[in-house]
Amino acid sequence: MLEFLQYPFMIRALVAGGFISVLLGWLGTFVVTRKMSFIGDGIAHASLAGIALALLFGWATIPTAILWSVFIAGFIYFLEKKAKISSDMAIAIMFTTGMAIGVILLHFYKGYQPELISYLFGNILTINNSDLLSIIIAAIIIIILLFVFYRKLLFTTFDSAGAYLSGLSPWIYDLMLYIITAVTIILSIKLVGIILVSALLVTPSAISKMFANSFKNFSIITIIVSLIIVLSGLIISYYLDLPSGATIILTGTSLFALSYLGKYLFNVCKQY
Amino acid sequence: MKKKFIEVKNLYYSFGGYTVLENISFVIDKGDMIAIIGPNGSGKTTLLKNIIGLYTPQQGKVAIEGQPPKSVRKQIGYVPQKFSFDRDIPITVHEFMGLERCGDDNHSKKNISRALKEVGLKNIKNQQLGQLSGGQFQRMMIARALLHEKQILIFDEPSTGIDIVGEQTIYDLITKINKEKKVTCIIVSHELNIVNKYARKIVCLNKKMICYGPPETAITAKNLQKLYGVGAGLYHSH
Repeated sequence: MLEFLQYPFMIRALVAGGFISVLLGWLGTFVVTRKMSFIGDGIAHASLAGIALALLFGWATIPTAILWSVFIAGFIYFLEKKAKISSDMAIAIMFTTGMAIGVILLHFYKGYQPELISYLFGNILTINNSDLLSIIIAAIIIIILLFVFYRKLLFTTFDSAGAYLSGLSPWIYDLMLYIITAVTIILSIKLVGIILVSALLVTPSAISKMFANSFKNFSIITIIVSLIIVLSGLIISYYLDLPSGATIILTGTSLFALSYLGKYLFNVCKQY
Repeated sequence: MKKKFIEVKNLYYSFGGYTVLENISFVIDKGDMIAIIGPNGSGKTTLLKNIIGLYTPQQGKVAIEGQPPKSVRKQIGYVPQKFSFDRDIPITVHEFMGLERCGDDNHSKKNISRALKEVGLKNIKNQQLGQLSGGQFQRMMIARALLHEKQILIFDEPSTGIDIVGEQTIYDLITKINKEKKVTCIIVSHELNIVNKYARKIVCLNKKMICYGPPETAITAKNLQKLYGVGAGLYHSH
């Protein structure tokens, strides 16, 4: 029954998936509340330039992509807060610029680059031990940051002016959220890919929003739902021999549809 | 000499070359209740953001008890026109009011309940924010300011989207806090009859300051014509 546990690549994928799903789920609650769902897509797509740079010059891919994405997140923040450009416009500008730079850099790369497809659509076979270690270390640091600054992040998310008037400097927490979201997205790329990663930032929150009655419950349910989506998606992809990233995303969408239907039917039954 | 509580002096503010506020000067006394009126885009919200220190004047100054607003900002409670977060997100009144710490968890619970009771809201602390009516939301925001004993309360159009009864309740509550707790209140409003009834002084603003003074001298046909560009006046029932 649990034969997939015999394979080291599956164990690596499940462990990485577990950590990533907790991070994406938790961060998703902030991102969705701030109406910034598009940021996941923006940073993931813009990271293509970082990946292309690493491939072209033979640098370590994930660290290069992380540095690039932190730069992108900082630039989006700058455009939004300092240049007074709306969030969706700032993200769209960086999204397309990053992709364009990536495509041009890859144009100079000689020969076939099979790894590129893995970054675009995710491939759990490419998660090696050093990737797993990077994911675990980064995830632990981010989880500690989220615990330590949780209340401040929450305050600036819901009431930036109120947070400022209480003595906080909201820009610090806004920027922190952008950067840790960017790092988390890059960590998730090998699991689900550039094209699909943003769904994991949004779908668990969209599901849990239907059932939660407080923000605390919302956060807990979102993390649990995120874990269920990623782990069950990985296992389903193993048994059905399907691409892992796409299967994870479709598992999330199916759960969303089932939850919506379930809630609708429950409400209908309650009326009678 | 009487000490100036809030002083706005020769304030100038622009966005990308477009002047929003030009040479604005007035003084607010401690415990006063003033209203800022003016057409849409007249710079009312920008003025409020300068007063709370979120914006820094490009010329002139804003001072609260002689200090820059940023350094005394903990004294200020601000109820914005709208919040940017998704109102469908499940957050309870208790969670929202507890975003700014007010003692340990036990104290916090008691204080929140007491503050809510003070504004006439009972048994709503476990209700979600999205389920509150506009009037309840405004009263909850006032309760939050009371919780932290703010000395200055600033409201940006507190009765937008609220019916007449709700509007009356909110303004009565603001007046009560202003009188009983000596909290200085600044209100941005479009409701001339309401500000005439409740405010002790009125700032008429349309990028420049058109007038400043008690309602009887500020809300005149001439000033309103200058302010809105059309004939306007107060409604007097007979």
